[in-house]
Amino acid sequence: MQARPEETRRSRARVLDWFARTAPLVEWMEMESPLGALYVARSQAGLCRLMFDVAEDRFRASLPGRARSQRNPDALREARDELDAYFSGRSMTFSLAVDLNEMTFFQRRVLQQAGAIPAGSLRTYGQLARQLGSPRASRAVGQALGRNPVPIIVPCHRVVGSDGRLTGYSGGRGIDSKRWLLRLEGALDEKVSRD
Amino acid sequence: MPRFETLIEHYHDELFHYLWYMLRDSRLDAADVMQETWLRAWQAYDRLRRGSNVRAWLYRIATNCALTALGRHRREVPLADHMDLPATEGLPEETLEPAAALELALARIGELPPRQRAAVLLRYGREMRYRELAGIMKCSEESARANVSLGIRRLRQELRET
Repeated sequence: MQARPEETRRSRARVLDWFARTAPLVEWMEMESPLGALYVARSQAGLCRLMFDVAEDRFRASLPGRARSQRNPDALREARDELDAYFSGRSMTFSLAVDLNEMTFFQRRVLQQAGAIPAGSLRTYGQLARQLGSPRASRAVGQALGRNPVPIIVPCHRVVGSDGRLTGYSGGRGIDSKRWLLRLEGALDEKVSRD
Repeated sequence: MPRFETLIEHYHDELFHYLWYMLRDSRLDAADVMQETWLRAWQAYDRLRRGSNVRAWLYRIATNCALTALGRHRREVPLADHMDLPATEGLPEETLEPAAALELALARIGELPPRQRAAVLLRYGREMRYRELAGIMKCSEESARANVSLGIRRLRQELRET
């Protein structure tokens, strides 16, 4: 059951044109990193996805459902520069805005708190929960960190268990990646501060 | 949950072919109804649940759009298919070979009333099960089956008369 090819093509072009005018644009690029292939995407509001050691399909499938995605390394040059500087140890800070609009209010607050932990330092889930005024919410804090759409940039890897153990990490190769990042930052010998 | 742009990528063409046959022999433009379908899908996208049958969901919207457009059109230009249908209960299962049924349907689909047209195209052109068909056409499985049977019977009759 086939309509004429030129009519089908015309309809598809019209739908895609409408979609381009309607859907928010998300631009993405891939780069090499010591942790494997790394993909990063940005929306109008800021960086909205970062994944490493994954296949391109999986990364693209993770992009916001309504977005129109376009590979555009030029639009992510600053992100690339900052990530390169991070992996080479030249700079451990990121200046780019992040887009956490898909997260709930609580998740956003958790990620903002995590974003304030300086490189080379560690915090526990409990400490973050207390800072948020919900001392019993360590588990919820852990879950919110697990949903971090931009790991490394929002350094959820700097949050560890109350005994200093490297519990869960959803990026790349899990705990191994977390350990690698903390070693890069010189944080592994750090004792969790008691504040 | 599949992303909207991958839905367009994967399903545009097959939905368009379906609509093209649905609207054949009317003065309606399948591309307009296709556009309307994607617009409605876009508006309803947030209500789509993880694990739902996305393809059937899109066919449901497309069928709805096509039936609405044909209904509007029919009010403007009365068509012969407005006639009363015979009772649909107790109809035997259609025994025609699927390939033969499809060939018959595609040749004369415009002769059928819109709901039978949708039922026959979805059953034989898209190999939908009656359960899916019922979901798409918002009716019972029996009613879906009856629409297919009546449609095929009518197509055969048309063929005999020509």
